[in-house]
Amino acid sequence: MKSTTGNWAALPGVPPLLSLLGLMMAWQVASQLAAIEGLPPVTRVLAAVPGIIFQKETLVDVGASLQRMALGFGLALLFAVPLGLVMGRSRAVAGFFNPLLTVIYPVPKAALMPVIMLWAGVGDTSKVLVIFLGVSLPLVYHSYQGARAVDEKLVWSAMAMGTGNIARIFRVVLPSALPEVLLGCRVGLAMALIVMVSSEMIARQSGAGNLLFNSLDMAQYEAVYVMIIVISAVGFVLDFAFEKLRERLTFWSTHRIELAVAES
Amino acid sequence: MIEIDRLSKSFATTTGATHQALADISLTVSAGEFVSILGPSGCGKSTLLYIVGGFVPGTGGQVRVNGKPVSGPGPDRGPVFQEFALFPWKTVHGNVMYGLLEQGMPREEAEARVAQLLELVHLKGFEGFYPKELSGGMKQRVAIARTLAYGPQTLLMDEPFGALDAHTRTVLQNELLSIWEQDRKTVLFVTHAVDEAVYLSDRVFVMTGSPGRQKALIDIDLPRPRVRRELLLNRRYQEYVIEIERLMENALK
Repeated sequence: MKSTTGNWAALPGVPPLLSLLGLMMAWQVASQLAAIEGLPPVTRVLAAVPGIIFQKETLVDVGASLQRMALGFGLALLFAVPLGLVMGRSRAVAGFFNPLLTVIYPVPKAALMPVIMLWAGVGDTSKVLVIFLGVSLPLVYHSYQGARAVDEKLVWSAMAMGTGNIARIFRVVLPSALPEVLLGCRVGLAMALIVMVSSEMIARQSGAGNLLFNSLDMAQYEAVYVMIIVISAVGFVLDFAFEKLRERLTFWSTHRIELAVAES
Repeated sequence: MIEIDRLSKSFATTTGATHQALADISLTVSAGEFVSILGPSGCGKSTLLYIVGGFVPGTGGQVRVNGKPVSGPGPDRGPVFQEFALFPWKTVHGNVMYGLLEQGMPREEAEARVAQLLELVHLKGFEGFYPKELSGGMKQRVAIARTLAYGPQTLLMDEPFGALDAHTRTVLQNELLSIWEQDRKTVLFVTHAVDEAVYLSDRVFVMTGSPGRQKALIDIDLPRPRVRRELLLNRRYQEYVIEIERLMENALK
């Protein structure tokens, strides 16, 4: 083994830390060069983090956001995964739902928020509904792909052993498609966070997005950036935890499915 | 007993044309008989097996198993596929257990049956392994154990040793024979290997391709139990292999 200087840079965790450090340095330099109120130096923003995140108001708001996100995500899981799986196994069902999904897919879910607010008001229902929509689409799509790719011989084997039509979806199709379904969940998780924040920006009542915009209105620019950092951190932690869960659930899988950052 | 009666199968290709895969196939396999279906790739021999299994419908004629027309898969016909078709999310134990629980066997009895089957296929000690941790030969052993476990009277084997290396193939052929000789199940065995068909079978059904038709049906009159080493020197065995190879060459022409 060659020991060259700089091997430490290949340690896991070091490159991401370096990129984070680089970003902060660029931010610091930019804020000094630009010297505008809207871009406070990173040192001031970081110093403001503890004060803001331990405020009761922040905790309550972020908690409310996460609750809506969890509810929307959970509902989407219950609805979209079975739908996608059945679509993947039945050409008729796929033929019925595919055109609908193709139409809705490219619409930014936040753009539906005003309409949904007309029906369901500015409260939690609208926000949960729009998160549900945002998560459902990638989840249906990935479940559908996963179910379509199920090895026919597995299904046949189960049929010969007496597994009926509905049981087959849960005992064969779902576990077979699980790596792909969980990939959809991961995309859905990012989607949920995005839609959560944007819904709160539109229907401003409570939540992390509301807090962010309130700070902007009151020209508390450090607070704006702190909220952005908080939201990113929440996203990072959720994604990291979900990846751990995904690995545990699909360790038996022969091929690893990776997700590019750019998806969705 | 399997009765295949003037069976045909055609399907629409993606271009909209009709492709005839099987034409006018008739074959009766008696209970306890080992029959191989032999033919060049693409001759529809696997399709024929899938129709007997009830996985794919025929388009003409009829297939009856023990007198009943086949209308779908059932636990009376156990498939074994070339690519093993194990549930990758289940352990060896879980795979063999699956069919027993689906058939409503009480858990305790099923546990005993799984242990017995894993012993039979020499996989004792591998209960907790996942399919991806096993070699091809071991995977096929698990698949055979899984199918034998729920006790089908008929085995439908679709090139079961086709994905294995030569040595493993030989070992598994011998094991299959000794298992079969113990409790003579009806076996329909699809292969493209002439020596394998002659070594294992009571009769060999030779097919030609496009559309798949019967080319010949040959009785393999060799003593059982068969021992590979003796058989390889057996004049009659050699003649069967040569005769069928010649038929196969003609089948391609």
